[in-house]
Amino acid sequence: MFLNLSAATFGIALMLAAPGLAQAEDVPEAAPPPAPYAKVSDLVALPDFLPGLGTLFVDPATLPAGPFLGYDRDGKLAATIFMTPIEDLQGGTSYNDLAVGSNDVSSVDIYYNAGHPGVEKPHAHVVLFHGADAKARLAE
Amino acid sequence: MMPNRRQVLAVGGGGVVALIGPAFVLAGPVEEIRMQGTSRGEHVWFAPVGLAVAAGTTLRFVNLDPGNSHTATCYHPTLFDRPQRIPAGATPWDSDFLLPGDSFEVLLTLPGVYDFYCLPHEHAGMVGRIVVGTPGDAGWQGAATEAGDLSAVALDGFPSVEAILKAGRVMPPGQP
Repeated sequence: MFLNLSAATFGIALMLAAPGLAQAEDVPEAAPPPAPYAKVSDLVALPDFLPGLGTLFVDPATLPAGPFLGYDRDGKLAATIFMTPIEDLQGGTSYNDLAVGSNDVSSVDIYYNAGHPGVEKPHAHVVLFHGADAKARLAE
Repeated sequence: MMPNRRQVLAVGGGGVVALIGPAFVLAGPVEEIRMQGTSRGEHVWFAPVGLAVAAGTTLRFVNLDPGNSHTATCYHPTLFDRPQRIPAGATPWDSDFLLPGDSFEVLLTLPGVYDFYCLPHEHAGMVGRIVVGTPGDAGWQGAATEAGDLSAVALDGFPSVEAILKAGRVMPPGQP
């Protein structure tokens, strides 16, 4: 089952990353993005900067999947992140036509997360990096 | 990273929660329980997960997980309507969310078994058990025997009282 879920999530990521299939949102490269986006650390008990993800902004109406916009410490957009609860995927929920912060997607990481305030259920992080150096800019 | 002390809570008999000064609390033994996780949040845990202490010991919970927030919350009906898994007469405690670097202290005075969990991560097995004193102590109250509403993964996370008393401290699987 886990392999099937991973494959499904990976498929979502590939669709999002494929040229022509994803549509960039009208979000600025520099933080903060305009409302309805809000800083995640202002919404829930999480640090301002999350190593690996950056300073996150999200439209609360789009929870849990997002998109979450991840900005580096200089306030530059570095990643779009989706958080898809495993239980919901197992139950048949699909997350379609999700927007991305930028069409410039250099790589995608997908991994399991046990949960955190805001997205409490165990879920997959689907991280679309915007630029070859984006992962390094979000590392710490 | 310098922890921020959030609160000092005395937990004893009489059902009274008392906020007391750090100098008083720190006069007795102090033991640290770390809240930790992998860098991407795949796994989270308390370390140690099981600890034996003497009555009058202050526990200091410290969040050393740079990418997550955690709580140290005891099982008690007054806290989120959970089953009681601390000695009767002990005052329940909840640290609330601790951000990275934050800490919370609680003084345990009644002998017995105290089970606690992390509010957002109980489902991931982030639970712990403190044994205060030994079964021979006056007023000793052992571990809860009913599962209540706890999940199997949470129940599996508690080391046995015997293992804790034998080793003094029990680390979570895979942690040195």
